[in-house]
Order: sequence, then C-alpha cells, then structure tokens
Amino acid sequence: MNRRLVIKQVLIMAGGIALLPACVREEGQSTVSWKNIKLTLDQENFLADVAETLIPETDTPGAKKLNLHLFVLKMLDDCYSSVDQQLFLKGMSQLQDKSYDQFTKSYTKLSKRQQQEVLLQIQHDKSKSPELDAFYKITKQQTINGYMNSKYVMTNLVKWELVPGRYNGYFPVKSA
Amino acid sequence: MSNINIDAIKEQTFDVIVIGSGISGGWAAKEFTEKGLKTLVLERGKDVQHIKDYPTTNKYPYEFEHRGALTLEIEKANPIVSKCYAFREDAMHFMVKDNEHPYVQEKPFDWIRGYQVGGKSLLWARQTQRWSDFDFEGPARDNFAVDWPIRYQDIDPWYGYVERFAGIAGNKDGLAELPDGDFLPGYPLNAAEDFFRGVIKNKYPDRHVISARCAHLSRPQQVHFDQGRAKCQNRVLCQRGCPFGGYFSSNASTLPWAAKTGNLTLRPFSVVESVIYDDAKGKVTGVRVVDTNSKAVTEFYARVIFVNAGALNTNLILLNSKSKRFPDGLGNDSGLLGKYVAFHNYSARVSAEFDGLKQYTTDGRTPNDGGYMPRFRNLHQQETGFKRGYAIAFRAGRDVERDSSPIGADLKNNLINGKLGPWKMHSHMMGETIPKESNFVSLHATKTDNWGVPLLNVSVDYDENDALMKKDYLEQVTEMFTQAGFKNIEPNAKTQAPGLDIHEMGGVRMGNDPKTSLLNKWNQLHACHNVFVTDGACMTSTSTQNPSLTYMALTARAADYAVQAMKKTEI
Repeated sequence: MNRRLVIKQVLIMAGGIALLPACVREEGQSTVSWKNIKLTLDQENFLADVAETLIPETDTPGAKKLNLHLFVLKMLDDCYSSVDQQLFLKGMSQLQDKSYDQFTKSYTKLSKRQQQEVLLQIQHDKSKSPELDAFYKITKQQTINGYMNSKYVMTNLVKWELVPGRYNGYFPVKSA
Repeated sequence: MSNINIDAIKEQTFDVIVIGSGISGGWAAKEFTEKGLKTLVLERGKDVQHIKDYPTTNKYPYEFEHRGALTLEIEKANPIVSKCYAFREDAMHFMVKDNEHPYVQEKPFDWIRGYQVGGKSLLWARQTQRWSDFDFEGPARDNFAVDWPIRYQDIDPWYGYVERFAGIAGNKDGLAELPDGDFLPGYPLNAAEDFFRGVIKNKYPDRHVISARCAHLSRPQQVHFDQGRAKCQNRVLCQRGCPFGGYFSSNASTLPWAAKTGNLTLRPFSVVESVIYDDAKGKVTGVRVVDTNSKAVTEFYARVIFVNAGALNTNLILLNSKSKRFPDGLGNDSGLLGKYVAFHNYSARVSAEFDGLKQYTTDGRTPNDGGYMPRFRNLHQQETGFKRGYAIAFRAGRDVERDSSPIGADLKNNLINGKLGPWKMHSHMMGETIPKESNFVSLHATKTDNWGVPLLNVSVDYDENDALMKKDYLEQVTEMFTQAGFKNIEPNAKTQAPGLDIHEMGGVRMGNDPKTSLLNKWNQLHACHNVFVTDGACMTSTSTQNPSLTYMALTARAADYAVQAMKKTEI
C-alpha cells in the first residue's frame, strides 16, 4: 500500500476532521484528545497491540495499519456511558497487569502466540472481572465494527456499493 | 402614507397560501402554480434544495464518524426521535430533535417530525397502495367514526393523476381490495418471497401476496425526465435524499415543478401562528407568520388557504386560529376539532427462517421492501371478534454470517469470507385503528414554544380492538409461516407507543354532516369555504394502507375544485 493511501486512511479511520490531534499535548498523553476519556500514549499503544492481536496483518493490512484502536476509542468516547468507559479503562489496566504477572513481560513485548494466549484466556474465562469483561467485549466488538466498516475492507475485500443500479431476486449461488 | 400600506399589503398578497411543503403541500403548490395562480408556500423549517442540500447522500459508511451509530449524547438528548429507524448518523439532520420542538404527551406518543422544505417526503418509506371502497365504506358498514363523504370512484382518477406524475412502481394484481393504478414496472419478489406467495395462493385463496408498490422510478417516463429525475439506482439510501430523484419527494418533484412556472414563492423559516378570520367579511383573509429566526410577525393574505402542515400541526394551527365567530378554533362549530385522531398499529412483528431455495440469493438492492399482503380480515363482512384488520409487509433475504468467535488470522478470515446463511423472512403488521373522540390533541393552557405558539397536548392510545387485532396478526402469520415450512418462527409483540408508525391522521375529519365533521367532500371547511385541509388531518378513518398516496390524490382533487370555485367566484 502506498504511503499516501495509508495517511488518507489514518485520517479517515480517526474519524476525519472531527478528530484533530492535539497540537500541544503533555508528554505521554494519547495522540488524540478525547472528550470524556483520558489515557496515556502507553495505553493507546497497548490497545493498538490488542487490536492487532485480534485482527493481525497477514497478506492484507491488520488493525494497527487501519488505526482500529483509535476507532475503538472514538466509539468508547462518544457512544458508551461513563460507567462503561471506566470499566473499560480499568479492564485495560488489569489486562496489562495480567500479561506482566503471567509472563513477567508487558503485553507489547510478548510473542504473537503469547498475546493470543492471553486474549483467548480472557475470552474463555467465565469468572473474569466485570472490568476485563467490558474491556474485552468493547474492544473486540468495535475492532470488528471498525474493520468491516473500514475503507480498505469495503473497497477491497467485502465490497460495498454506493450505486448498485440493479436487483436480482433469483441470483444463483456459486457452489463452493 | 396609505399608499405605502397598500403597496405593502399587495406585496404580501397571493392568490393561494399553502401552509407546509411536505408531500401534500408540495402537490398543492404544483397544482395551483400550474394553473397560473400566485402561490405562497410557507415552511416552518430550513430550505432543502434537491441534491444541493443532501450533505450525506454520496457518503460511504466509513465516512460517517460513528459508522452510522448515534452518540450517547444525542441518544440521551433525544429519547423520542431516537426510536425512529431513520434517526441515524446519515439522516438525523432531516429530523426534529426532541428539545427543539417540545409537545406534551398526556399519553405516550412518539411524534416524529421533519421540519424543512419537503418535510417528511424526504424521509418517507415510499409505499404507495391505493384505497378501495372496502376502506371508504368501512366506517358506515362497521359503525364507527362517520361515513366518508367520498367513494373510490371520486378519487380513482386522481390516484391515476398523481401516480403518473410521481412515478409508482407496481404490478397489475387485479385485487378489488387494492385497486390497480397507473404503474411503472413493479419490482420483483425474490425467490423466498415468491415461494411464500405461491404457498399462500395454494392454501389461502382469499389472501394475496403482491410485490409492494412504491414511489420509485423503475422506468422513468418523459414527465419524470422533465422534472429532472432519473431511474432509481437501487441505492436504498433514500432517507439521505436521492441525487437521481429516483423516489418521489416534494424536493425532487412537485416543488421544482412549481418553481418553474414562475408563480411560486417559497418562504422557509416561517411558522404559521394562526389563520386570520375576518368576522366582517365572513371568511379567512390570510395567515399570521412568525419568522423563526427574527421572531418578527408578518401577515400574508390570499383568497384561498390550504393547510398542509402535517396532520397534528394542522390541528394545532386551526385550534390556535380563534376569532369571534370561531372562539374554539377555525371551523370548529362541531366541537370536534382535534378529536378522532387515529394512526396505524405497527406494534407486532414475526420473523422466521427458511431452509429451502439455497441455490438462490439476492444481488443488488430493492427499493420496494419486498412483498405486501392487503387486508383479508373482515373484508367482505364482519367475521372476527375485532373490527377491521391489518395489512402485512414481508421481506426476505439471506444474511452473510461471519463467525466472530475466534481471534487472529482465523477471525480475519471469517470476517472476510462469510458464509451465506439461510433465507430469513421478516414481517410486520399495519393495523387499522378506530378513530375515537377520546383520542385527541388540544392546545396546552399555558405552555408555548419559542415563537409564542401553544404547545400541543397529545392524548392518543391503543385500545382493546388494537390488542385483539395484534393477537390475530401474530397467530395468523405464525400459521402462514408454518404452512410454508419456515423454521424458528419468532412472534414479537414488541411494544411501541402510537406515533412511531408516523401515520398519525384525523382531527379535522371529512364528513357529510357539519355537526359531526369539519371538512366536506372537497376537503373544504364546512364553516369557512376558503380554507382546505388535505394532509393527514382530513382522514375520517385510517384503513391499512400507507396514507401518503391518498393525501396526494385528495390534494390534487381539492386544488382542482378550489380553482373552479375561484373562477366561479364562489370563494
């Protein structure tokens, strides 16, 4: 993918003009100034790694390249209650702690396989804390939402047509 | 000095004033301007010009900040309008926010409004089924409301007249309960809908599934090209406004047509506070308008006034038009103004799955939303424990299922390469509700809006008849789906307040007798002949069909009558 396209996509994924990066920001703060939530650059990068574990780069771009973590945060900031926002942020810290406890390494430094293992443990753990539950659910749901509704996917992989110009109610299904 | 006043009054004087620019107001504007009459159309909201003012029309889903979703802030600030399916990121700028225009719910009523040039004609679901005499004769036969002063033969030519201009896609189905019209080619049913049609045909000879008729240009004619409209491109993003003019709206059709005559003056940001009745002259002389921005009050004058403000707002304006002759609202000798409000009961759905016909799916999109079953209950005679009946809308489609349980490359693969699921069938009811005196709107005694107009009290509710009818719909569709071999049938008796159907009607009903109705057979106030009401407020009963086509036909018919009456100087 060429650089210009990436930049364009970054801007679009970040919610377009409504999401101007803060020009002057405190060291270590998130690259975006949110209305309701507050998080550090470290946490933002961590979320990017989690999203990348969920939807990794293969022969097509993954979550990081599509900036899906910023979309997750955008949705969290605008479309969730303050209760959910607090649960999410606490759950995020709990996950950071969990990977450190388990592997004595931060999530970012784990191998891809270990990162997957951590997330799958959470997904399958029926007695996980409400914070972890909220964090994982929102992150997975909105990463998928952002992915399926990204320009990249909608123009290259699962195409969405603005002007179909047709309807066939007896369209033959290609046999697999 | 007096000359200046006379000039000023001249400038403010028109042949006809039309209050409202929605689906019926647009038609009134077209008819009068075409016949050479200087016409002022007053619209309380902002201007929306065709194409130019459709800001979201060509956006892709990823160009919306929240991919279509509402923010929590907007949802919390708008508990009423947020319930409407069309209040999403792409069309919410065409819908009234709760706090902008409050009203008083004496009983729960979701009043969904579009205050702009074109009104809700930009947003409507575009279903256009004709009424029949089973509908017009309903109140007299079943002993409710009052007899309609018209029959099908009175409106039949006017249905054709508006259908040819608006462009209605449909098939000639040959059903007495849903008369055929002057149609463009209908949209086809898909494989599963067609299968269901066949099942019903075999097992229920008195029930019929047809392709729903809709106001889309499936094959535009010269009159549509002359309007600047083109073939519907199956976008089905209609609520954003259509850059092709593929569906009928005031903005794409009647208003630009009226403007071309040179006889139209369109004035947005103009709330009509009241209609002015001159006690000495014994007729209405004009309207009093508040500019929504400056709050300046202006009067405009005309020989004839058409009130097309949208059903409940038409009631509000007439109730607020008080004079010595009409202390309780214009034309309200009967005391029934604001009463006998009714709506459509949309409060139940049934969905199911169909395992067959896996060799087919759909490609592209259809603007007509699938199939339609006209009313079959109590059609020829009373045969159930409830009055009247319901129409049923059907639609089938196959979802692409994407298993999102894994993570990593497997998740990604599942998301990209979904599997085609089974056919899913959805249906909803469209029930006729019985107009009652106890379902009414009135003016609030003390509260007013930002422009000094009293707030509207809305006191409208379901009744026992609605509950019985809903139960019957759920049972009958479950039975029909079972007969069709559908699986996982899910009846859903969802509760929703009246209003969300966006088919509110009545309050200024038509009838033969001035003692029991407000309007005569020409939609003319019995007691004030130069005022006409041709929007939803005029409806004596509701039937089951989506009402807009009938408003259009009644408007064109009334305008024709008004022009003749003006020529004969009767008004």
